[in-house]
Amino acid sequence: MTLALQILIVDDSPAMRTFIRRVVRLSGIEVDHYFEAENGAEALEQLAVNRVDAVLTDINMPVMDGEEFVRRMRANEATQTTPVIVISTDATTNRIHTMQGLGAMGYLEKPFGPERLRNELDRVLGVNHE
Amino acid sequence: MNSIAYWESIMNDTAAPDTAAPNMAASNMDALVGALLYSCSEHVLETMFFAPVLDEVDPAASIGSTRVASRLHFQGKPSGDFEIDADPVVARALAAAFLGIDDCEVTDAQIDEVMAEFCNMTCGSALSSLGRVQYFSLEAPQTSRPSEFTPEVTGVRRGFLLEGGTLSVCLRVDFDRG
Repeated sequence: MTLALQILIVDDSPAMRTFIRRVVRLSGIEVDHYFEAENGAEALEQLAVNRVDAVLTDINMPVMDGEEFVRRMRANEATQTTPVIVISTDATTNRIHTMQGLGAMGYLEKPFGPERLRNELDRVLGVNHE
Repeated sequence: MNSIAYWESIMNDTAAPDTAAPNMAASNMDALVGALLYSCSEHVLETMFFAPVLDEVDPAASIGSTRVASRLHFQGKPSGDFEIDADPVVARALAAAFLGIDDCEVTDAQIDEVMAEFCNMTCGSALSSLGRVQYFSLEAPQTSRPSEFTPEVTGVRRGFLLEGGTLSVCLRVDFDRG
């Protein structure tokens, strides 16, 4: 099954957003369009006007961090079920449980490569490989 | 390695008063942090920067030379500091690899940003693997370009030989502070 996705990347680092785009491309996932935001507030603005199939978000960001962003996404009926994958250097149990409790469906610890990203995206999107 | 069980055994040993060999316990701790730091750094370099580690080198060899350095403080349980320094050639190559562009296209601002990202990722990876870490919050890294590099963090340091030069990392973890 081939999906042409619209993905929102949320990270305050332009370099990291570039890297994520590269890794998504290397993973073989077909992306129709990338949206980008520097923080959770900008990301919510993007979600209000664009159809997004999956969100890849950092946690530590200025203005609005990843925790508040995911909390507000889940509080909004329009984005309640949009798949969210957290990408973070913090892989402590506390953090992972916190983000999952807020509604994140996936968690990708840095460092990561194309295969792990692909596997996590396929999992949260419910894509099966036969 | 089951990092949590392994670390807990060491932490229990170091927490227990041992008047006979306090230095040995601290030395063991440094050795373990060093091994973890090396492993995490190598993993980040190879996975995110496509930069294989060619050899381990003496990290003190970079002192006094021109480097690109990045340092951050982290708070939590535990707190501490983390520092990296790299040959300018290595820093440029890592930035190019991370961004997927040619070395000649990389700007100084991009180098600084990518080195800060490397600092962030490697510190986070090491802390996440350390065990006995309840929570941590990384402050924004500060990147500089000293012409005569002097380490600002006193801790466990490791050096790597990459293509084009060397890179060092240093981690200090304050387990006693909350």
